[in-house]
Amino acid sequence: MAGRSQPYWEDVAVDEEIEGLSLDITARRLVLQVSGSQDWYPVHFDAGFAKKGGHTDVFVNTGFLQAALVRVITDWMGDEGFLKKLRFEMRRQQRPGDTMVCKGKVVSKYERDGEGWVEVEVRAENEREGVTTPGTATVILPRRK
Amino acid sequence: MTDSNAYDIEEVRRKYIGFETATARGRYPVEYDAIRRHCLMVDDNNPLFLDPEYAKTTSHGEVLCPPSGWLALYFASLGPWPAVFEPLFPIVPTPGKRIVNMSQEVEWSARIKVGDHLSVKRRIADVFQKTVSLDPEAVWIVAEAVISNQRGETVCVIRNTMLTHRTPEEMEEGSRK
Repeated sequence: MAGRSQPYWEDVAVDEEIEGLSLDITARRLVLQVSGSQDWYPVHFDAGFAKKGGHTDVFVNTGFLQAALVRVITDWMGDEGFLKKLRFEMRRQQRPGDTMVCKGKVVSKYERDGEGWVEVEVRAENEREGVTTPGTATVILPRRK
Repeated sequence: MTDSNAYDIEEVRRKYIGFETATARGRYPVEYDAIRRHCLMVDDNNPLFLDPEYAKTTSHGEVLCPPSGWLALYFASLGPWPAVFEPLFPIVPTPGKRIVNMSQEVEWSARIKVGDHLSVKRRIADVFQKTVSLDPEAVWIVAEAVISNQRGETVCVIRNTMLTHRTPEEMEEGSRK
């Protein structure tokens, strides 16, 4: 397989949008969520359990959200990029029937100890709630020689 | 469930803030198929996480684990069977046993490769009560997990904030006492 494209720190612009991804939250996706996260807590797949706890319905778990936000970054930063830090908040829920869209935007870039650092805003959103999961990521990108 | 009428948050704070678990080593090394399942759930087709032949052509030389704190904790938490502790549930006693994760922060120091063998040490950083719509007596727990590899190098530190709450039925029951 040919190598993937590799962005360099010098080529990244502040305000650059990071395309991201879109996932429909279907019953199949909830099963994939449990398999992929190995999170067996029923609030993420058993509607009766979720409603008994005071929730409207089941909602996707932290591992799933994190995997999606990480994918936004790793799809963009290439094989030589390094995700230094990721922080995100679960403010609202992604539920069955939602289409979860995850995106990013470069908000600043700077040098630290000769390395090229980039700060990125990331978020998950849906049409029902708007931004459900805002976050920030710090990425170290390779520099051109 | 702990009786909410007898629950003493100050006592819990005194007893549990700063509490640390012993370091626990994952039962298995980091392996391909758990990474594949993790990627599949979000349609992640990144060959660096999935294709050993592709990974050999990169500077890394081996398939990488996606930089997800959740996945790192998964590999580090699969200890003796049955598990010594349930990695996803809190150690701290709380009036309600329902859990909602509120935020997570992961800081990385090194990449994780297939074949690495991870360990985890967990620490309770904070416990407090804060009202939420689900439960006016919700208990919030901030927990840190330090994940290290087989060389003793810290690969990441995870800081997770969760709240625990009672069900509406449990709150109704508690108000009748």
